[in-house]
Amino acid sequence: MIFVVTHWINLVCMLLLILTGFIIHYPFIAGIMGICRGVHLFCGFVLFLNMVFRVVASFIVKTSPTGGTRKQTTDIKSWLPQKDNRHQALEWIKYYLFLRKDHPLGAKLGVPQKLSYLMIPVLIFLMFWTGLCLWGETMNVPAFAATTTLVGGAMSMRIIHYYGMFVFIIFMFIHIYLANVESIAPTKLMFFHKEHGGLVYDPDIHNIVGEDFDPESCVETRAKRGPIDDSHHVTRTAS
Amino acid sequence: MVDQATTTDAFGVLESRGVSRRSFMKLCAGVAAAAGLSQLAIPRVAEALEKSVIGATSGDLYPVIWIEGASCTGCTESFAQIETPDVATVVLDIISLNYSETLSAAAGYSVEEAKAQTIEAGNYVLIYEGAVLEGWNGNALRVAGETGNEALIHAAASANAVMAVGSCAVNGGWCAAYPNPSKAMGVQQFLKKEGIDTPVINIPGCPVNPEWMMQVLVDVVLLKDPSLVKLNSFNEPADLFDQTIHDNCARRGHFENGEFVYEFGSKEEALGYCLYPLGCRGPQTKAQCPVTLWNNRRSWCVQAGSPCIGCCEANPNDPGDNWVQVNTPFYQRFRDLRVGDFTFQPEPVAWALTGIVALALVCHGFGMKKTGRMDGGAPFEPIRKWDAKHPDQAIGTYADPEKGGPVLSAELTEENTHHAAAPADVVVADYEGEAGGEAR
Repeated sequence: MIFVVTHWINLVCMLLLILTGFIIHYPFIAGIMGICRGVHLFCGFVLFLNMVFRVVASFIVKTSPTGGTRKQTTDIKSWLPQKDNRHQALEWIKYYLFLRKDHPLGAKLGVPQKLSYLMIPVLIFLMFWTGLCLWGETMNVPAFAATTTLVGGAMSMRIIHYYGMFVFIIFMFIHIYLANVESIAPTKLMFFHKEHGGLVYDPDIHNIVGEDFDPESCVETRAKRGPIDDSHHVTRTAS
Repeated sequence: MVDQATTTDAFGVLESRGVSRRSFMKLCAGVAAAAGLSQLAIPRVAEALEKSVIGATSGDLYPVIWIEGASCTGCTESFAQIETPDVATVVLDIISLNYSETLSAAAGYSVEEAKAQTIEAGNYVLIYEGAVLEGWNGNALRVAGETGNEALIHAAASANAVMAVGSCAVNGGWCAAYPNPSKAMGVQQFLKKEGIDTPVINIPGCPVNPEWMMQVLVDVVLLKDPSLVKLNSFNEPADLFDQTIHDNCARRGHFENGEFVYEFGSKEEALGYCLYPLGCRGPQTKAQCPVTLWNNRRSWCVQAGSPCIGCCEANPNDPGDNWVQVNTPFYQRFRDLRVGDFTFQPEPVAWALTGIVALALVCHGFGMKKTGRMDGGAPFEPIRKWDAKHPDQAIGTYADPEKGGPVLSAELTEENTHHAAAPADVVVADYEGEAGGEAR
């Protein structure tokens, strides 16, 4: 549940940072430069601190490595590539490029997905750092001044910070597309923590073991098929 | 060789020049202000002036050699306009300008001899204006049989300090802009390459602001205390070059209010709004222009209606970071990027790339639709490719070690889901028909 909150923070901060960033780059809307700079700085710090919290929490908080399982592990194991992902990187690329028909077997995150999510904290850190290199209050701190010198001056730093934003924009396009193209169920889970049924993938034997029984759809099915004994039904609770 | 003030009576000298005590103290205040010192330093300046210049029995005017490198002489012109103190006071009473291609009255053999004598005597400051050129095998800027580079090495080696004035002397300036055919660079980098460790004080600007130069001269020459000049990592006086133009700009209020000039000749321009959208480099250029001002503190670029073009941007160790290359085109928010001979603005490339990705995703979406993957994704593979080829190193456990297939088990399902498996009469998932909603 805590990662639903961090994801919301990421979303809101990134959108505000991008919007205000464009206005700070070129004030196409007059009259709001002061507000935009304030929001940009505030969201920059929040996004960075949120990222630090998210990374630290991933070593503490337990999450399900795949949908439909309660065999939870510390979240970092879902984040870093595991045995489950071995030899599957190329297969995922082939799947995305329509070079294979069936879906590679695996827990909730595929290999390209894990790699790109691993790059996000790095990217947030780089944006935070380059941002502080440009911010008047911190630009003369020796570490930031040295970075600015390293990249060839403030103009180069500005262009790097600008292109970094476009990496975020392009990532968001791909992320939103892939997260919803096969089903919007992951989005409902991510934003509203609404769980859903589906196949049960066992993280220990790395294969499908059955179906996550959804009491609601069962009721519908039962209505069609007539009553059955439902004494064994257990209501699912949010993890 | 004239580097000695030989007068004996300070007030006599002042009176003979028609200078009252009052105007002398005003001069001292001017010098203190030029040095960036507080009012409290005025007596100290007066004492220094009396001792070193006016009342000195064996005067000790500080010898200065001023060498022109690859310059337009603009920095000399700029310096020649100073009035606090005026250039005559500086040249005649504060320093002994023993050599200057532009300002020396003497010429030819006599001035070259004065230079040679000054270098031999040592204990002088070298002011270097313009870029150092390594092109044409270092044969450029030949004066009196000496190439420009030889003259610089010769004069810098025995100097107490070198003042690199103007952006060209700091890192090549516009001489070093692409494609830099003359292989221009700054004094500091050149001297380092030549193994000369004379300290270099960099004062960028195109041209240099005479008052900044005066501040350094007053600190080093008059007060004889180089520690007054706190240098930053670029060996620039930190007092002058550690804040941005933007920090002190009179139009900063309009920036914060979001009041901008988008077009020259517009109503906004007449109102004196902020020039940021017209490419003003104030936020990224470090200099004290809005405080010291120019033309004897009358005005400066932004006050006069022009966006800052960042002429003080100069990394002494990197001629590529010269102000012309990193700031052109001046009226755009970004510089041009260059790949070979092709130049482009960064924004359209970023937008084009984003557009291509968006288009690719739309095309991909049609592919997903066509292959029927939108309904929960394609069916799972029965067995990993690797596992099928290497059964002994298999990652997964399968119903059949060769053909694969899910290991359907009510027990494992319940273990995973923490609730009962679906009853037998309920239609369960089509294991081969979809990958499930969690595939992403």
